[in-house]
Amino acid sequence: MSAVFEALGISGSGMEVHQAWMDAISDNLANVNTVRPTSQAAFQARYVVAAGVEDGSTGLGVTETGIALGDPNGRLVYSPQHPMADSKGYVRLPDIDLGEQMSTMIMAQRGYQANISNVDRVKETYQAAIQMGRG
Amino acid sequence: MALSPIGGVGGIGAAQLAQAYRQQALAASSASDAATRAAAAGSVDAGTAARGADFASAIGQGLQQVQNLDQSAATKAVQAATGNLTDIHDYVITATKAQTATELTTTVRNKAMDAFNEIMRMPL
Repeated sequence: MSAVFEALGISGSGMEVHQAWMDAISDNLANVNTVRPTSQAAFQARYVVAAGVEDGSTGLGVTETGIALGDPNGRLVYSPQHPMADSKGYVRLPDIDLGEQMSTMIMAQRGYQANISNVDRVKETYQAAIQMGRG
Repeated sequence: MALSPIGGVGGIGAAQLAQAYRQQALAASSASDAATRAAAAGSVDAGTAARGADFASAIGQGLQQVQNLDQSAATKAVQAATGNLTDIHDYVITATKAQTATELTTTVRNKAMDAFNEIMRMPL
């Protein structure tokens, strides 16, 4: 909106994308044990697709351009007692690695926090500039 | 620009004073042609009025922007209270923008008032 506070908006866009990323990871973790019968596609992991916003200059932050989906085949697990098991005793689980999702969550969280720190720094800088005029 | 405060008394100045103003204006690299002409003519009403309007419109624009920022911050506050807010950081950043803009505008206004008072204190 106003170029004076551009840095705040840019950090805000970074926080928005990282929040979307955290949302996607939360959804993946929530569905890590979602079982489907082999006749259906498995739950597909969600991955946020991000892209930089170009303005031919210093850039205008980042934006979420869409969601990529994981492998619909998932992985077949032999579980003959399961009510959804097919005639051979298999069910379909999502191809989501818990450890990978957790470490990705740390990246998303740290990225979000880095943007918060940047907002604080920028705000301090602006206020220092205003203090300059009060002396 | 440095001549603007004393330009107001140019009308009562002697030819010698006007000459000094003109030399000052020519020497100063930042002095505009308008200021030089005004000093030479001994009348700065038009120039002063233009500068006054410039400052007034600048402050007016600044206040308008502050009001817009304040309004969007208030909208976010209502959304936060009613549970319609989608992003926490959205509200905080908007509030930060409004706060910083308000501080900036009050600082500029205070500086302008300081300058005005300084001129008013000048012995005539």
